[in-house]
Amino acid sequence: MGTKEGHEPSDIVDPDVTIAAEALNPENSFGIHRRGAVMRGLNLKPSRVFQTASLLLESQSISQAPPWFKTIGSIPPGEIMTRTQPVQHRDSNRKSRTRKPSKMFKPQLIEYEEDRLRREFYRDHPWELARPRIVLENDGKDAQKCDWSRIQQPGRPLTGESVIQRQLWLLNNVPGMSNAQAYDVARREFYALRHEEEVERRIAREEASWTGAYFGKSAIDVGMELEDKTYESWKAWATREAEAIDLQRNAAYTGLGTGSEEEEVETEVDAAEEPALP
Amino acid sequence: MKSIEQEMCWMKICSISDDAVRASENATSADSFNLESSQVDIRQHSRSTMILRNVAIRHGRKALAAPTPRSLLRTLTTETLVEDREAIEHSIDNHWKETGANLNQLYTTNALHPTRDPSESIKKVQKDFILRQHIKKRTSHIGSNITPHYEPHQLLINPPRPEDVTLELLMASQSHLGHATSLWNPMNQRYIYGVRQGVHIISLEVTAAHLRRAAKVVEGVAYHGGLILFVGTRPGQAASVVKAAKLAQGCHLFEKWIPGTITNGDQILAKCEVKVVDGLDKKVEGFEEKAAEWKALRPDLVVVLNPRENYILLHECGLNNIPTVGVIDTDADPTWVTYPVPANDDSLRCIQVIAGVLGRAGEAGQKKRLEAAKKGDITWLPPPGLGKPKEEEEKENKAAGPGEPKGKGVELNADEVESGRRSRPGSRGLEEEDDD
Repeated sequence: MGTKEGHEPSDIVDPDVTIAAEALNPENSFGIHRRGAVMRGLNLKPSRVFQTASLLLESQSISQAPPWFKTIGSIPPGEIMTRTQPVQHRDSNRKSRTRKPSKMFKPQLIEYEEDRLRREFYRDHPWELARPRIVLENDGKDAQKCDWSRIQQPGRPLTGESVIQRQLWLLNNVPGMSNAQAYDVARREFYALRHEEEVERRIAREEASWTGAYFGKSAIDVGMELEDKTYESWKAWATREAEAIDLQRNAAYTGLGTGSEEEEVETEVDAAEEPALP
Repeated sequence: MKSIEQEMCWMKICSISDDAVRASENATSADSFNLESSQVDIRQHSRSTMILRNVAIRHGRKALAAPTPRSLLRTLTTETLVEDREAIEHSIDNHWKETGANLNQLYTTNALHPTRDPSESIKKVQKDFILRQHIKKRTSHIGSNITPHYEPHQLLINPPRPEDVTLELLMASQSHLGHATSLWNPMNQRYIYGVRQGVHIISLEVTAAHLRRAAKVVEGVAYHGGLILFVGTRPGQAASVVKAAKLAQGCHLFEKWIPGTITNGDQILAKCEVKVVDGLDKKVEGFEEKAAEWKALRPDLVVVLNPRENYILLHECGLNNIPTVGVIDTDADPTWVTYPVPANDDSLRCIQVIAGVLGRAGEAGQKKRLEAAKKGDITWLPPPGLGKPKEEEEKENKAAGPGEPKGKGVELNADEVESGRRSRPGSRGLEEEDDD
């Protein structure tokens, strides 16, 4: 497809082609900006680089083709801006709205059967999501090197993903397995390995303490300290509030009665004001 | 522990600035005491950070046992953090006491290449090299065989060739990850495979096809003696851009593009020199005057690794009819470039793969060009208006006679010269931009 596409009337009868040529001539320093390759606000000059050069050569505005001329002429750029039917990831229903022209060209959602299993697993084990995951791949063929007849894989960490793949392997390879059975088998293998990990961690801590390691506060200790602090500040606030309520109550009682009681009130009020002044 | 402390003290003193040293020398006793205490504070901080880094390298995660989880750090006051750090320090000191580990055994590698004293004699360097090769030969097969794995530096040292582009490589390089679905440019719909986790997934086959096409373009332009400019202005793209330009014998740009470098090139590139070379890329004498007043060079192909941030550059290329290649993400505009390569422009690994492939393609084109030139077949034409070298022109003028001055004809004898295609290797020409 090395033929030129310069057969649009606007390009051939463009009276300013010579001006454009002068603008593109390397010997000229001024630039006149032509809007020959503009469509509905889009600038299509980059796509029409070869056609422009061909026209300039034809009209002999440039004496020599640029060095890229042959290459770009033999390798046309791909089609842009046109929409194609997107890759179908689900069967289309006769009545669904996806068959409307406005929805027909929208990219579709990619779904796998593992997604259902993932949703179930992480709903039951939400704290597995808190474990950091490395999503780096080596050469893109990492998944092909896994054999899910065992839940542990070399070079792969033990995560919820290994449970799901194991579950899928069991469903596909072991005859007579139901979804729930496969889930249970995979889950139990996973729990056993996690338990092993926790035991390792505990023993490592013990060994470290034995050889002289100090450990900082654990999460529980830190939480308790924060709670204690909050409690103390609450206690101070509560004491102040209780005193204020007492004062109000006493003031209300001493509001009734004779002048002698009024004198008492004044003295009591003074007494109440004194501690308020720090 | 005391000896270690003294060593640390020495290391810190070396790095204190001249001002501080002068101040410490001139200070009174009271001032010097304050300075010492601040030095002590700096030393402790640096020691703790350095120790943490070293321990992490040597012993791994398990050495820094039972720290508070990151998620809780924000809720803690600074008191608790200091206690943790001190606890770790104490445990490390204990470890040294128990096992007798020496500070000198711990090290950090910052650079890929170790620094060398330039005053070493050449003979010593040769000796060292031979010794190193011998040790490598004798010991490289010892130990476990590590399975092939991803080594990030290999993409820069030994980039993949266009033939090595596979769908698996592109997927591992995260080239299929587009932007959020709400941020897309609908013009890119044809490149998108589907939607997953709220982002558009770029089709790997489309990426591979467009990348191979762009590689053919780069190879062809290099074969025909075109000047290729590689542009990548995001942080981290500099190394891949420089490597690609080196392979394709073109120019690179990893700092900001100065608007007007093409349209106003004579002004902006005034300091750049131009030299005239022959078919085998050897400099030709006799063009000094012409080269001095030659116009600013323009690239014949521009490869942009982040077109969204380089609109002005692409606009100038459009004005001057220069073809461009660009990495187009799902939110980028494919009309800005001649040859879009739909891929993830946010992943450095993907950019390194694409830049590497295009660099290798340029290298192949240059190789073919030079091989053809050796056989006598020059694949390009010199620019019009160059003419012949000064001496030959003078000879021709004399031969023609004083009354018939010979004009500057178009030099179609491609055996002789090519001007302006090459600039001096000392960071001239279009490479000047990276100095800013």
